[in-house]
Amino acid sequence: MPATPINVSAANEAVLHLSAANAATANSAVDALVVPGMQDITINNSTGVFRFKTLDSTAESAVTTPATNQLSLNCIVDSTAFFGTGTGADDDAKENGLFGVSKNKTKVYFNVYFDGTDSGSTFLAGEGFVSGLAPTVNMDSPVWVTPVTIEVDGDFTQHEVA
Amino acid sequence: MAFRDTLKANLDIALASTNVSVSAELPYSSAGEALYLKNMKFVYIDEDNISKTVLFPTLDKSDVTETTTTVTAYLAVDAKNDLSDIDTIISSILNSRNAVSGQTVNECEMTTDIEADVLTYTFNYNFITV
Repeated sequence: MPATPINVSAANEAVLHLSAANAATANSAVDALVVPGMQDITINNSTGVFRFKTLDSTAESAVTTPATNQLSLNCIVDSTAFFGTGTGADDDAKENGLFGVSKNKTKVYFNVYFDGTDSGSTFLAGEGFVSGLAPTVNMDSPVWVTPVTIEVDGDFTQHEVA
Repeated sequence: MAFRDTLKANLDIALASTNVSVSAELPYSSAGEALYLKNMKFVYIDEDNISKTVLFPTLDKSDVTETTTTVTAYLAVDAKNDLSDIDTIISSILNSRNAVSGQTVNECEMTTDIEADVLTYTFNYNFITV
């Protein structure tokens, strides 16, 4: 059976929404912080492994242990997304930006869309904390870019856009 | 304002009291001979050449692009009799790269070529901005 790749060549196929309020707000592109200018995004679901040996076997046995879940990405620093809108009525993730939720250690709810946000599209959701910001710039690449890590608290859940 | 115009305006002043002048014309060929070879001791500045390349591709297509502009200038002089102020002239032409503002890279490279009794200086300006 031929593979069915998920092609993100068109704009806004791989998308990340963040909300500090709740999972429902993360579903809304209007209310959530939609992280702009992402260069790449990686979803890490890495289970641990416990190995053991038994006297009746010539090879080790293994069981997996709970996973370390993490989202990591690199993006261009957009001043509004990074420092926030500063508008009190906005979701806290949008109001305080990536830097604000990292500094304030605010829990964020996220949705990672694989193939856009249209009805029927698949996304992974979860909650966690923004970490690993390290904005950098130099004269060869005179635009601020930063890595972003979301340390996931708990599991990823899979959904489809209604 | 094209970079060519900025460079010309700067060189008009910088070379005002030297043995060379700046031509307003482009370095086109007339009767098979480049104008700067026909009219020696005149600096001819070519048109801007512009290329845009993607510096940072992004998943939402808000790509960051880099604009590279190159401009070439020519000066031909008599190879037998060097101009007394040629060092000042070359220095002024090289330094005119700084007249173009707002660039992350302002470079100018000079090469020389001698054919018969004509010494031709070619100046390649390179400007990069995001």
